[in-house]
Amino acid sequence: MKRYDLIIIGAGPSGLSAAIEAAKRGMKVIVFDENARPGGQLFKQIHKFFGSKEHKAKIRGFVIGRQLLGEAEKAGVEVRLSATVIGLYPDKEVVVREILEPEEGTAGETSAKEAVFHYKGDAIIVATGASENMVTFDGWTLPGVMGAGAAQTLMNLHGVRPGRKVLMLGSGNVGLVVSFQLLQAGCEVVALVDAAPRIGGYGVHAAKVARTGVPFYLSHTIKKAEGTDHVTGVTIAQVDSRFQFIEGTEKHFDVDTICVAVGLSPMSQLLKMAGCEMDNSGKGGGQIPVVDESGATSVPGIYAVGDVAGIEEASSAMIEGRMAGIRVAEYLGFDDKAGADTAFDQNEKALEGLRQGMFAPGNRGKKIEKTEEGIPVSENLLTHGFVADDEIERYPGVTHKAGVHPVMECTQNIPCNPCQDACPKHCISIGSNITSLPVVLKDSACIDCGMCVSSCPGQAIFLVNEDAGPGKATVTLPYEFLPLPEEGDEGYGLGRDGSRVCDAKVVRVRSSGAFDHTALVTIEVPAEYAMKARFFVKA
Amino acid sequence: MRQDRNRDLGPFVPREGDERIICRCEEVTQGEIRRAVHDGMYTMAEIRRYLRCGMGLCQGQTCSRLVAGIVARELGIKPAELAPASSRSPMRPIEMKVWADEETDDSKVRRA
Amino acid sequence: MDESLRIKTHPILGDYTKGKLVHFTYDGRDMTGYEGEPIAAALKAAGVMVHRYTAKRHTPRGIFCAIGRCTDCVMVVDGEPNVRTCMTMLKEGMKVETQYGVSSKPFADEKQ
Repeated sequence: MKRYDLIIIGAGPSGLSAAIEAAKRGMKVIVFDENARPGGQLFKQIHKFFGSKEHKAKIRGFVIGRQLLGEAEKAGVEVRLSATVIGLYPDKEVVVREILEPEEGTAGETSAKEAVFHYKGDAIIVATGASENMVTFDGWTLPGVMGAGAAQTLMNLHGVRPGRKVLMLGSGNVGLVVSFQLLQAGCEVVALVDAAPRIGGYGVHAAKVARTGVPFYLSHTIKKAEGTDHVTGVTIAQVDSRFQFIEGTEKHFDVDTICVAVGLSPMSQLLKMAGCEMDNSGKGGGQIPVVDESGATSVPGIYAVGDVAGIEEASSAMIEGRMAGIRVAEYLGFDDKAGADTAFDQNEKALEGLRQGMFAPGNRGKKIEKTEEGIPVSENLLTHGFVADDEIERYPGVTHKAGVHPVMECTQNIPCNPCQDACPKHCISIGSNITSLPVVLKDSACIDCGMCVSSCPGQAIFLVNEDAGPGKATVTLPYEFLPLPEEGDEGYGLGRDGSRVCDAKVVRVRSSGAFDHTALVTIEVPAEYAMKARFFVKA
Repeated sequence: MRQDRNRDLGPFVPREGDERIICRCEEVTQGEIRRAVHDGMYTMAEIRRYLRCGMGLCQGQTCSRLVAGIVARELGIKPAELAPASSRSPMRPIEMKVWADEETDDSKVRRA
Repeated sequence: MDESLRIKTHPILGDYTKGKLVHFTYDGRDMTGYEGEPIAAALKAAGVMVHRYTAKRHTPRGIFCAIGRCTDCVMVVDGEPNVRTCMTMLKEGMKVETQYGVSSKPFADEKQ
């Protein structure tokens, strides 16, 4: 049996972060992960993260993953892959199934030799993450019905589209983000469906899907997946307030893939097995361990961080991991209390920053009527995925000025502020409260550099020139699809709802390293569509 | 939580969706789970042993939440009031030959 | 087979780094994929949807979770049943077969 100061189960964002903090303080740390690659779900996250600088905002998830791996290596963390922890015992012993080096002459054999090994740690951090929830409907076992995470894995890790025509069930952030990723991979998303009456995820995530023309069906769910050997179609129908189907509201779509994104459950079985006190109330997304702010469970020396301790975002999981790593080092005498307290408090503050706004853990399931600024939340955004033309003007980021100026269609209080730092002319202000809606400062002049457009993780910022020649306006929009439009391309301007609202011509296309793969496409539209056209399709 | 075993659940009434598979691995349907509750299986552990749902290759990763929902509804309680099934090693599928041939020395070379 | 499910260039990820092109068989048919990618990814790229038929009800299953949890994508690989194709990496010369129950032998009632 091998001994380590600290054994971490799971090499995702929280596990790696904990490992880094502990190893930096001189601990001998090993991280086990059952996957062939480290990083957990981070390498499937190709969107820019929300938050502020300290939360690695506007950096794409997979890039954060690479940074974490580099940091872990530098700190001397040992990461053991394809190593599945199959048991955790109260005396801090873990049993791991590992793959052995193939013996001489057995190369080419499918099943590599496996064996079971025992390890003992002075402390254990469980960072096993979560698994996807499912709902059942007729035909849900047919090939072609899959978790949204499966689609993400196929596209973003393996470069294979899950199908050609996809229906997404679930309007939480996972459903919204994966829908956008499906579009980026070249799939057609025929509809985004949710039984709930309101969209669960960030409005900006919904808006960037809606403006490409994907219809949202709230208060609808899947009645049946059709097909004999695999999915060939799907029927959805409207549900009433008791989630019962309403007769005669059925709609059919021809699809080959149905993605399900209806939430996550913590994978907490190892903690329960180790005898940790569990909370089965359902808060935190399922059965979770009872933990203190450092992730310590009821069993001394066993900690839990990340989604396994309650479903949240990768950004908060990384901070939770660091906090536990710091406290474990103190617990085992690798850091003094003063040093640990300083580092811990700094992280705790960063975590509090992320847990604010309309989507804070305390607001889960609540309907928020007004922003912190007292502005009514767009009802259309919550029910159709886009802010209606007659609602958009009431937000502080939407102003009218002569010349090119930013229009920030950021309408919900979420903890995010990269736009404020992105503008070299300080045109944009969020202020010290990270969840405030961005405002355009009147006395500063936009130089049309596009940094705000590319920095916005919600793709909610546009550069508009309402008077770009007689009867003309230009709109610069973020564009993350291929093929990239070219200067001179003629086509249509799409409204926030994804419908064709006007003719449009591409007058400029910018892509640069500073934009990090968010291209800036400038279209010329009739002047009256300056505040309406928000996407472009080639004729 | 302890369940009152003397409670009257009323007769088993077939419902829409009873034919639908809930446990994908062991191919257990909603109707079978509902009927098992009426047969006196009031806990997740009993349901598992009676029907094998959650005991297949995936060890309940997909269905345990769904099964708990069905059982709770049949008993007229909240899923949170239902004691979760116990957690035991092995947590992931493992071949018996690997499980039994336990390595106690470190002479074997692990793949990096 | 139609290879068009592979993404050629991705707007964010660019070109995917893949291993060398390898040959394998799927139910006796020659196929190609890339070394080091999951068998499931190579099959998906080629448009294969059905990985197995279940033991009891003989119903088709395919990729469901793609991360080794649900075990729905298991197939018979090089003669060994219950191999999770989403977790097992493709190698030159692999023999991949549809799994019927726990074998590669089709059920009597199943049309091939």
